[in-house]
Amino acid sequence: MAQQANHALPNGYQLEEYLIERQLSLGGFSIVYLANDSRGRQVAIKEYLPNSLALRGEGEICPVISPEHQGAFRYGMKCFFEEGRALARLSHPNVIRVLNFFRANETVYMVMEYEHGRTLQEFIQKHQGHISERFIRGVFTRMLNGLREVHAHKLLHLDLKPSNIYLRTDNTPVLIDFGAARQTLATDQPILKPMYTPGFASPEHYTSRKDLGPWSDIYSVGAAMYACLSGGAPQAADDRLKKNLLTPAIERWNGQYSDRLLEIIDWCLSLDHLERPQSVFALQKALVAAVTPPPPKAEPNWLERVMGKLKKSAVK
Amino acid sequence: MRFTIYQESRQGGRANNEDRIAYCYSRDALLMVVADGMGGHFYGEIAAQIAVQTLTDNFQHEATPTIDDPFRFLQKGITNAHHAILDYSAKHRLQESPRTTCVACIVQDNIAYWAHAGDSRLYLMRGGKVAAQTRDHSRVRLLIEEGVINEAQAARHPDRNKIYSCLGSIDQPPELDFSRKTLLEKGDVLLLCTDGLWGVLSGEMMAVALKGSNLMNAVPMLLAQAETKAGAHGDNLSAVAVRWEESYHEEENLTSISTQTMALNEVTTRFDEFGRNPGYKTDLSDDEIEKAIEEIRAAIEKYNPKK
Repeated sequence: MAQQANHALPNGYQLEEYLIERQLSLGGFSIVYLANDSRGRQVAIKEYLPNSLALRGEGEICPVISPEHQGAFRYGMKCFFEEGRALARLSHPNVIRVLNFFRANETVYMVMEYEHGRTLQEFIQKHQGHISERFIRGVFTRMLNGLREVHAHKLLHLDLKPSNIYLRTDNTPVLIDFGAARQTLATDQPILKPMYTPGFASPEHYTSRKDLGPWSDIYSVGAAMYACLSGGAPQAADDRLKKNLLTPAIERWNGQYSDRLLEIIDWCLSLDHLERPQSVFALQKALVAAVTPPPPKAEPNWLERVMGKLKKSAVK
Repeated sequence: MRFTIYQESRQGGRANNEDRIAYCYSRDALLMVVADGMGGHFYGEIAAQIAVQTLTDNFQHEATPTIDDPFRFLQKGITNAHHAILDYSAKHRLQESPRTTCVACIVQDNIAYWAHAGDSRLYLMRGGKVAAQTRDHSRVRLLIEEGVINEAQAARHPDRNKIYSCLGSIDQPPELDFSRKTLLEKGDVLLLCTDGLWGVLSGEMMAVALKGSNLMNAVPMLLAQAETKAGAHGDNLSAVAVRWEESYHEEENLTSISTQTMALNEVTTRFDEFGRNPGYKTDLSDDEIEKAIEEIRAAIEKYNPKK
C-alpha cells in the first residue's frame, strides 16, 4: 500500500512565536519549514511527523494518530528527543545549531538556525563532474571538523550524504539532519526502520549493525567525495558486497585529481571497515597533508595518454 | 554505557509460564532480573511477577542515573519483594503464600553486582568460558559440594528441584548470596536464567555458543535447543543475556548501544508479562515529554546560549 503523504502546515501559520513562511522539505519522519521568529530572524523548524504513524489531512493542523499507533508514535518521539539532546550538546560552527524545542499540535518541534546557501547535493548537480580539488579539500576538511565534534560526543551521524551537508554562501559546510543519529540507541523497533541512503550508507548499515562506528560515517564521507567527482551516488554498499562494480577513484580520475585525494577516497570506501581510516582525525591528517594537485592541462589525445601510462608503469 | 541485551521467556511443555524476567536501564546503570515462580505452590507466577516488578520499580526510583549502593539496592529490593509477596497472600487470604526464586544483577561503571535466592542462576562468561556463576540454594548443590554425589547424578536426583532459599516463605526470609564487585571486560556476557535452561544445557556449552555471537540470534537458539531437549513436558525456560561492550580498564571506543544521550532521570524498562510475544510497550507519559523538552531546553541554554 502506498503511504499517504502528510500535508504541511499552511504558509503564514503562527506556530508559537514563529511564523511559518514555507515548507523546505518533507521526509518520512518529519517536515522542515522555513519560518521567522519574533525578531524577524529566519529559522528552520523541524516537525516530528512520521507519515506511517500520524496523518495530517489537507487544511488540518493536528495530525490524526490512531490508538494502535500511539505507542510507536510516542516511541518515535523519544527518538526525536535523542536527536534534540544530541544536537543541543554540540556547539560547533560546522554543526547545525539548535535554538529551541517545544511541544504543540500534539507533536514536537525543533527550531534550528537557518542560513542562506544550498546543500552539497544541489552544488554537485549544478556542477556535474566539474568540482575542483581545492573546493573538495576545503569543504571536507571543515566538514570533518564538525564530524569530529559529533564523534567526540560519542555520537554517530549515520546518514551522511551530500544532501545532509549544507553549504553557506561562503561555502563553509554545516552538518544537518541528525535524524539517524539515534540508531545507535535503538534498533529493535520494527515500525521505525533504520534510515540510510543507498550509495552513502556503509556496508555495516546493511549487515552487522554492531560494527557501526566512526568508520561507518567515514565510508559515507568517502562516498560523498566520490559523488563530487562523478556527479552521482556510487554503487550501493549492499550491491558492492554481492558484486563490486565501483571503479576505484584512482583509476577513474587518474591524472585529473591528485593521486593522494583519489587514494583517500578509495581508502574511505573500503568495504572492510577495518581497512578504512579509523577516526576522523586520521582522515583529516591525510587530507591536509601537503600535496600539489597536478597542473590543469589540455585533454591529452589518446596517443599521449597511452604513452603516459606506459611511462608510469616503466617507473614502477 | 554500551551493551547489547536480549531476553526471552518460553513456556516449554507446561500449562502456564511461571517465569518472569525483566531488564531496565538508566543512562548509567542496568538492572536485570529473573524470577522462577515455584510450581508446587499456588500462584507461583504471581510471586515471580511481584519480585520482578518490585525490583524494576525500585530501580526506576533509585537509578538517578546511578544506584548509590548496588549491593544494598539488591538486598533491599529482594527483601521488599519477599514482604510484598507475603502482603499479597495475606490480603487475598491465600492458604499458602506463593514463592519464587530470584536472581538480579546491577551493572554500573563497568562493574557487575549480583545477588540471588534459590536456583535461578547467573553466569559470567568471558572468552567462551564460564568465569563465575551463582551457587544454587539447593540440596543437591550441597550434596555435590560435600562430595556425596557428582554433577551427573545431581541432574537425575529426585530432590534436584528442592531449594532452601526463596522469596515468599512465611517461615523464613530468603537467604541471599551476594557476588563480589566484578570488573567487566569488553565482550563479557552475563546470562541470568532459570533452571529450565541451565538444567538442560551446561554453562560451558552456553558460554561457547554465546562467545562473540549476536545475542539476538544466539539466545533464541539456545532456548530452542533446550526446549527441544527437554521434550513435551519440559519446564518453563527463560533467559536475560547482556554483552558488555566496554571495559573497566580501557578507554572506550564507539560501537553499538549507547545510553549517553539519555536523560539523567530517564529509565527504560522491558519486561514481558505473559507468553513469548511481548510486543513492545512505550509508556512515554505527558510528564516525561515535558521533562525531556525541559532538559533539551536546558542543554540549549547551556551549550548554545542565544547570541
